[in-house]
This record gives sequence, structure tokens and C-alpha cells, in this order.
Amino acid sequence: MALDADEVAVREWATKEQLTMPVLIDKYHVVADLYGIVNVPAAVWVDENDRIVRPADSTPGSDLFRDFSNVDSEVHHNLLRKWVRSGERDLDDARVREFQVKPSPDVQLARLHRRIAIALRERDQDGDSLASREHLTRAEELAPLDWTIRRGNMPLVGVDPFGDEFFKFVGEWTNAGRPGFKLGTGRVKK
Amino acid sequence: MNQGRVVNQEGETTVVDVASNFGEFAVSLADFARATGWQLKPEGLCIDEICVPIREANRLTDGASIDLVEFARVTKQNIVFDRQRQVAALGERADSRGDSMSSLLAPDFKLPDIHGRQVSFSDFNRRKRLLLAWSSW
Repeated sequence: MALDADEVAVREWATKEQLTMPVLIDKYHVVADLYGIVNVPAAVWVDENDRIVRPADSTPGSDLFRDFSNVDSEVHHNLLRKWVRSGERDLDDARVREFQVKPSPDVQLARLHRRIAIALRERDQDGDSLASREHLTRAEELAPLDWTIRRGNMPLVGVDPFGDEFFKFVGEWTNAGRPGFKLGTGRVKK
Repeated sequence: MNQGRVVNQEGETTVVDVASNFGEFAVSLADFARATGWQLKPEGLCIDEICVPIREANRLTDGASIDLVEFARVTKQNIVFDRQRQVAALGERADSRGDSMSSLLAPDFKLPDIHGRQVSFSDFNRRKRLLLAWSSW
């Protein structure tokens, strides 16, 4: 499920990679809201009885960005394999609740400003109206440390998500103590 | 009436008529039900089997339209709206989102896949599911 307003980019990548899983496009970040997802890539485990058995956490598919993320991607993969094969979980319900990232009132409002911005982009069909930008900016003021807002906005306003603005944001986020997911699966010491 | 848009909690966008002479962001009664899934009944504002009583009906409706700002207040939802651009977005408040997360019940959702087909999370129930969030950014 892609947290992405750029349907073309999602379709192109999923097609190129020949993904066999269902690939959904969540342009309004509905699932981010429902499951407390504040950055990508992230994973949530849901069992046969519709129970959340592992909360959203950073789960890189590989070690490509390991120097930056400080995450050993294999740790989650191994936990996942064990759960799929034997049903054995690494967290009980109390721990799942402990590590959920619940939203602040401001984050919930930021998500709605972002939705208005996306709706305006679609209506105006020029992809980047001034009105849309106003709401994206308001969303960032309300949720300055949420990656789905701050970094997710970058391509929408023509900012390189790997450029100067991004590293400025990473600096802010690091100075704030790297808030976000709490579980820290596979975190390694530098 | 002016044409506007409402994005609801499920991320569905509905084109609506926005009243020019009532409320902060009021939509016609028919559009209200289409956009929100809620209905105005004699017993109050209702969705599925749940009804919320209304104390100040004249703030909610003028008989032709319903003010979404008052609706959101009564039903304890968030609303953000842009009156000038005629767009409103409804969403869950932080406290109730926190409560629903604590229940550990996996909420259902419906989204388009890359081929444009609507897919529900519950289409895959009764099996283990890995919900992976990623993006192009």
C-alpha cells in the first residue's frame, strides 16, 4: 500500500518490479491515519482474526540505507518468517499497545489539511495550485516531524526528496530526538 | 449554492452543493448522506445502528442543508475546511483514533489498486496479512 499522491510513479514501480502482492494507492493517507504510520517503509502484522499483532514500525526491505536508518533489515524479516510459519509472535498485546504511535491532535488536523491539498490538486488539475500549497504548508506547521507529511509533501511542491530541504528536515528531526516509531526493530548501534 | 468537495474519513471524495446562506460549510441534505454516510432522522444524526441526538437543530440544519462544522462538533469528528475553495475534509479526532488503535482490532479500508480496482483489506481476511506502507518519495 503506497502512501502516495503520485499514482503514475506507484504504478510504474510496481509494474517494473513485477510485484505479485496487491498494490493499493492511498493518496489521502487513510491507512497512515488508521494504523499510526508516520514514515515509510513500515509494516503492520494482522492475524487471521483481524487482530493487530505487531504495530507499525520501520521495516526496510534491504540494508541499502542502513548507514542512515541504523536498522538491520534481516531482524524484521526473520521475525516475520517465524510468525508466518509457526504463529509465534515477538510481542504480546500489552507490548503492541505500548509501541503503537498514537497521533497528537495537531497531527490529525495536519492529515486533513493534506487531504484538502490533494483534493484541490485533483480539482484544479494543474497539480500544484497556490491553494494546495497553502494547505500543505499548514500541514507541515502542524506536524513538522511526521515524515508522511514533511517528506511526503516534497515532490508535491517540486522539492527534491533527497535534496537540501530533505537534509534540513533530517537535521530538525535528529535534533528533536528522532521521534516517530517507538519499537525500533533491528536497530543497531553506530 | 456553489459546487464544492468533501473528503470523508474513508478518503472518498464527493462533489457537493455548498449553501451560500447557511452555516460555515453547509451541504444539501442529499449530498450530506452521500458524502458522509450519515443521515438526519427524527431521532438525530444516524449511521448504521447508531444515532446521536441533536440539541440545537437550528444550528445544524435550515431544512435544506446541513452544516458540516456543526455536524462534526455533534459527532465528535475533526473537520478542516476552506470556505473560499469550497473543500472540506472530515477525520477522526486524536483521542478516538488512539482508543480504536488500543482495541487492536485491525480496521478495514478500501483503496484502488494500481489497475484502478477497489480492494478492501477484508478481502483477505481469515489469513495472516502483512500491511506494508511504502512510497515513491
